[in-house]
Amino acid sequence: MSKTTQAPKALRGVGNFIDDRFHLAKTGEKNLRKVFPNHWSFMLGEIALYSFIILLVTGVFLTLWFKPSMVEIVYDGSYERLQGVPMSEAFASTLHIDFDVRGGFLMRQIHHWAALIFVASLVVHMLRVFFTGAFRKPREINWLIGVAIFSLAMIEGLFGYSLPDDLPSGMGVRILQGVMLAIPLVGSYISMFLFGGEFPGEDIITRLYMLHVLLIPALLLGLIVAHFMILWHQKHTQYPGQGRTDKTVVGTPMFPAFAVKAGGFFFFTFAVIAGLSAFVQINPIHLFGPFTPTSITSGLQPDWYMGFMEGALRIFPNTLDFSIGPYPILVAVLVPGLGSMGLLFVALGAWPFIEQWITGDKRAHNVADRPRNAPVRTGLGVAGIICYGVLWLAGSNDILSETFSIDLYLTTYIFRVLVIAGPIAGFIVTKRICLGLQRRDRETLEHGYESGIIQQLPSGEFIEVHKESSDETTHVLENKPAITSTALEEDETDDRGVENPEARKPKGKLRRALAHWYTKDNVSFEGVAAHSGHHLHHSADGDEGAH
Amino acid sequence: MKWITARRRHPLAGYVVVILALALFGVGYAALAPTSDQAQAQTLAAEAPSADEVDIAEGKAIFDQTCASCHNYDGSGTYDEDGNVTNGPDLREVGPAAIDFQVSTGRMPSMDPDTQMPRKPMAMSEEELDDLIAYYNDQIRTDGAGADIPYEVPGSAPERANFEDEESYEEALAEYEAEYDAYIEGADNTDMGMKLYLTNCAHCHSWSGGGGALTDGRWAPEIHDASPRQIYEAMVSGPGAMPMFSDGVIAPEEKQELISYVKTLQAEPNAGGIFDLERVGQVAEGFIGWTVGLSLIIACAIWITAKQRAHD
Amino acid sequence: MTENNNDNNTADDANERVVGTPTDTADVVSEATPEPRDDHNGPYLASETHKHPEEQQRRGEKIASLWFVIAFLSGIGFLVSYFLFPPNAAGEPAIGDPQISQYSNMLLGGTLTLAMFGIGAGMTVWARNIMPHYEVASPYDELPSKDEEKGSFSEFFMKSADESGFTKRPLMRRTLIAAMLPLGIAPIVLLRDTGPVPGDRMKETRWTDGMRMYVEGTHRYLRAEDVENDPYGMISALPALDDEGYPHGMSLTDQAKSVILLIKIPEEDWESGMNEKVSEDSEDTHLNWTHQGIVAYSKICTHVGCPAALYERTTHRILCPCHQSTFDAANAAEVVFGPAHRPLPQLPIGVDDEGYLVARGDFNEPTGPTFWEYAED
Repeated sequence: MSKTTQAPKALRGVGNFIDDRFHLAKTGEKNLRKVFPNHWSFMLGEIALYSFIILLVTGVFLTLWFKPSMVEIVYDGSYERLQGVPMSEAFASTLHIDFDVRGGFLMRQIHHWAALIFVASLVVHMLRVFFTGAFRKPREINWLIGVAIFSLAMIEGLFGYSLPDDLPSGMGVRILQGVMLAIPLVGSYISMFLFGGEFPGEDIITRLYMLHVLLIPALLLGLIVAHFMILWHQKHTQYPGQGRTDKTVVGTPMFPAFAVKAGGFFFFTFAVIAGLSAFVQINPIHLFGPFTPTSITSGLQPDWYMGFMEGALRIFPNTLDFSIGPYPILVAVLVPGLGSMGLLFVALGAWPFIEQWITGDKRAHNVADRPRNAPVRTGLGVAGIICYGVLWLAGSNDILSETFSIDLYLTTYIFRVLVIAGPIAGFIVTKRICLGLQRRDRETLEHGYESGIIQQLPSGEFIEVHKESSDETTHVLENKPAITSTALEEDETDDRGVENPEARKPKGKLRRALAHWYTKDNVSFEGVAAHSGHHLHHSADGDEGAH
Repeated sequence: MKWITARRRHPLAGYVVVILALALFGVGYAALAPTSDQAQAQTLAAEAPSADEVDIAEGKAIFDQTCASCHNYDGSGTYDEDGNVTNGPDLREVGPAAIDFQVSTGRMPSMDPDTQMPRKPMAMSEEELDDLIAYYNDQIRTDGAGADIPYEVPGSAPERANFEDEESYEEALAEYEAEYDAYIEGADNTDMGMKLYLTNCAHCHSWSGGGGALTDGRWAPEIHDASPRQIYEAMVSGPGAMPMFSDGVIAPEEKQELISYVKTLQAEPNAGGIFDLERVGQVAEGFIGWTVGLSLIIACAIWITAKQRAHD
Repeated sequence: MTENNNDNNTADDANERVVGTPTDTADVVSEATPEPRDDHNGPYLASETHKHPEEQQRRGEKIASLWFVIAFLSGIGFLVSYFLFPPNAAGEPAIGDPQISQYSNMLLGGTLTLAMFGIGAGMTVWARNIMPHYEVASPYDELPSKDEEKGSFSEFFMKSADESGFTKRPLMRRTLIAAMLPLGIAPIVLLRDTGPVPGDRMKETRWTDGMRMYVEGTHRYLRAEDVENDPYGMISALPALDDEGYPHGMSLTDQAKSVILLIKIPEEDWESGMNEKVSEDSEDTHLNWTHQGIVAYSKICTHVGCPAALYERTTHRILCPCHQSTFDAANAAEVVFGPAHRPLPQLPIGVDDEGYLVARGDFNEPTGPTFWEYAED
C-alpha cells in the first residue's frame, strides 16, 4: 500500500483559511470520526431529509412561473383542449408550467411525488423510532420535534395540494373551510378572516401560497436542522449486540464510508422519485379542469396523508350532533375533522412521558429495544397503526365499494366497527406474538437453535440436534432488558403498616394499575443460563455449533 | 441453474427477488392495463333504417322469445298482487332510445332481473335489433312516448364480422370515423361541455368517466366503451338509477358539447407518463407512493447497509 | 435472529479503545490514531479494519466507474432531451401537445433517473468494495453534567442575575413586562383586516322573487316544461345573473352559495315530510315551494360543503360523493344517512308569465356547511 496521499495544496489552503478563523481542526476531526450504526432502518429519516431537499429545489423552480392569484382569466396558452376556458390565474399558470416550460411537467410531478414520499418516510421513520423505544430518555425532545415536523408536513402538503386551484384541490379547501365553520362560536369568524370573506373569495390561494412557500417551509427547515443537530450531539441509538451498550456506540465512521453511503442514498432517493415522476402520472390537473364550487367528481380523495381525516369524516355518524337553542354542536364534523388530528399528535407527543411515568424509568437509553421485549408498547403501536389504517381505508370507501362491489353504506358500517374492534384485536394479537417470541428467545438461549439435523439415538429415539447459538445471539438474548416499574416496587404499606400516601391517591392507584398492565405478562429470563438446556446434551457435536 | 443455486443464499437474494417481482408486476400491469382507445363495437347507421329494411314480424318473434318472459307480451311488465314490478318493468312509455341503449350495451336481455347488469357484448345482431325496435315502435310504444333514437349521433364502429370482404369493411370504417370525428370536433365550447359534464355527470361517473359507487351496492358504470349515441341515449332515457336529461333540459347541441368533452378527455394521451393509474387519482397515487416509491428507496438503503461477507 | 449475526467481530476490540471524544475531554483524538501496522495505513487499527483484497477493489473500481459512465451519459442525455423538444411556437404546440409532452416528460425523467441512480449505485459500489470495512466504537455523552459543573453554573447565573438588579428591583421588572404586553397583542390586532365579520352575509344568496335560472354551463333560461315533462329529470342550475367581469356571469362565491339541483319527482312519490312547514315562522310547506313536481334544493352539502349531486332517481336519494351524506329528495331532503347535520335548504320555485322557471324568494335556511349562527334570527 502506498503512503497516505498528501493533502492537495488547494485543499490545505482552504482548510487553513477556515481554521485561521474558526479554530476547527479538532472539532473537524471529531466530526469526521463520528460513528453511525449500520442498519437500513436508521436511514429512513434520511429519506425524509432528502425528499425535503428535493421539495425545496423543485419548489423554487415552480415558483418562477406560478401565479398565486384567483383572478379569473380566459386561458389562451399552448394546451389546446382548455383554450377559451375561464379559469383562475393560479390554474392557468400551472398549465403554463406543464405545457410551456420544458421540464416543467417533470418538476411538478417530482414535487408531488416527493411530497408523498416525504410524509410516507416520516411515518416509517417514526414507527421505527417508536417500536425500538428510541424516543426514550435522552431523546424525548427530538421525538417532540419529529412530531411537530410530521404535523407541519401534513399541513404543508395540504396547502400545496390546494394551490393549483384544480377541481379536487379546491374541494380540499372547501372541506377545510367546512370543518372550520363547525367550530362553535367563532367558526364563521375564523373562516371569514382566513378566506378574506366568504368561500372561496379571492384571497385564499394567495394566503395559502405564502404559508406554503415561506412560513411553513421555514419552520420545517428550522425544526429539521434542530432535529439533526440534536441527533448529531446525542448520537444515534443502536441495536443490541456485542460491544453495544448505553455508554458506547458502534458503527461506521462518518468519513469516508458513511459520507459516501449517505451521499449515494440521496441519489437513490432522487432516482426513485424521478423515475416515478417520469412514468407515472400524478395529479393531472389539466385533465381535472379548473375548480368551481358547484362541480364534484366521484372518487374524490385528498393526498394519502390526509386520508385518515377524510375517512374519519366519512364514517362518523351524525347521531351525536346536538343543539343548544339555535346553535348546533357539530360533533360529526368536530370530532373527526379536528379531534382525529389532535388525538394523533397529542398521543404521539405524550407517549414518551406517559411511558416514563408508568415505568418510573429515568435512565438514559441508547441501546434500542427489540419490539418484542416491550410487548405493551409494541401492541399499542400496532393498535395505532390499525386505527390509522382503518380510517385511511375508510377515506377511500367509495373506491373500495366500486372496486369490490360492496354496498357503499355497508362499507361505512364495517369501518365503524373496525375502527373500534381492529385496534383492540391488534393489540391483543401483537402482545401475544411478542410474548411468544420472548418464549422462543428463552428457548433459544437455553437450548441453542434447531439445526435441522435429525439424529437417531442408540435407544432408537429420534431427536433434532440443537446447536449453540453464536456469541452475538447469546449476548443479545442474555441482555434482554427486564420490564419493571418503580410503581410496583413501592410497598403499599410501610413497616409499621401505614399506607403509603402516594400510592393511595387516585393518581397513584392509576399508575400502579397501568404499571401492572404494562409489565405483568413479560417472560422472565431470570435464572436462565445460556445453553443449559437438555437438548444440547444429546448432541455429541453440539459444541461445534458455535462458530 | 447452478448460477442461481450458488447465489440464492446471498443476503441480498431476497431483495433481488422482491425487486424482480415488483418489476414484473409493473410490466404486467402495463401489458394488461386496458388502453384508452378501445375498439368500439356497434351499429353504424347514420339514419333510421327505412321501413323496407326491417322485418316487424321478425322483431315480434325476437320480442316474444327474449323479452316477453319478463316484460310481458304487450310490454306492460310483470307485477305481483301489490302492483310491484317482479321481473321486468313496463316498456310502453320508455321510448326506443331506452330499448336501443339497453340492448346495444348488452345489458338486456338480462338473466337476473334483480341485479345491476354490467356492460356486455350485444346479444343479437344489428339487423335483429333494428327489427326489434321496429316492432316496438309499431306495436308496443304508447303514442310516441319516450325519447327517439338519436340516429344523427354516431353509434359504434362497424365490426369486421358483419362485412363480407375487407374492402367494404374498411370503407364503412372510414365512413364511420369521418362521422365520429365530425361529431366530436363539431363541438367547440370546451367550457360548456366541461361544466355540463362536471356539474351533472361527474359526481357519479367520475371526472374521467371511470364510474363510481352508488348506494345499495349499485354503481355508476364507466363510460369509456360507450359510443356517443349510447351516452346520448342514456341521458334521455335514464337507465337504472340515473336521472333523465331530456333535450329540453340539455339541448342536443349542448349534449354534443358534453359528449365531445368526455370523449376527447378519454382519448387524450397522458402527458405525465405512460402509467395513468386508471385515472383513479389520489388513492392510487398514495398506494403506488408507498408500495413502489418507498419500497424501492428502502431496498436501496438495504443494499447500502447490507452486511459484507468478504471477511467472514 | 439479531440484526448483527454476521457482523465482523471488531466490536470486542473496539470495546477496549476509544475513538472520538466527548466535548469536554481533551486530546483523546490523537490517541485514537495509533501507529499504523504494516498491512494497513488507514486511520484505524489494522486489527479492526477489513481491507478488501486488491482483486475485489479492482473489480469494484471497474463496476463503480461503469455506473459513473452510465450516469454521465444519462446526464448528457438529459441535456439533449431538453433541447430535443423545442418550445411552443405560435400555432405549433410542441410540448403543448399532450403526446409530445408525455415523450418529453419520460425522456427527461428517464435520463434523470438513470443519471441519479448511476451516481448512487457507483457510490455504493465504491463504499462497499473499495473502502475497507470496519465498525468502530465511540462513547455516548455522559448525562447529566457533574454536580460541581451544575453548581458552578447555577451559582454564576444567580450571581449575575442579582448583579443585574433584575431580581432585586421589582418596579423596573414589572414595568418592563408591562411594556411588552401591548406589543404582544399588536400582531393579533393587525390581522383584524384579513376579512370582514360574518354578519348576515352567509345567510343570504342572490336569489330573489322572480329571478330566472340558467342551466349551469349554458346561458339558457330553463323553462318549466323542459323539466316537467321529464318524468325523472334532474339538472344543476344557477340564478340568471350577468355580473360584469365574471366569465360565467357571477363570482365563484355567489355560485358556491346559490347553486341548486332541480329534480322532477312523480307526485305519488312525495313523502309526508313535504307537508311540513319550511320553517317555523312560515306558512308554506315544502310542497308549496315545488312546482309541478319540480323541487329545488341547494346543491351544497350541509356537512362540509361539497356539491351533493349524486341523485338516484329510483330511490330519490341525493348523495354527497365526498362523505356520503344522503338526503331524501322526496322527503324535504331529510338526512337519511351519513354525517350531515341538517337537510339541504330548499328554494321556492314557480313559473313566470313566459313559462320560465323562476325563484319565489331565497332559501329557507342558509346554504353551505352548517355553522354556529345558521339558525339564529
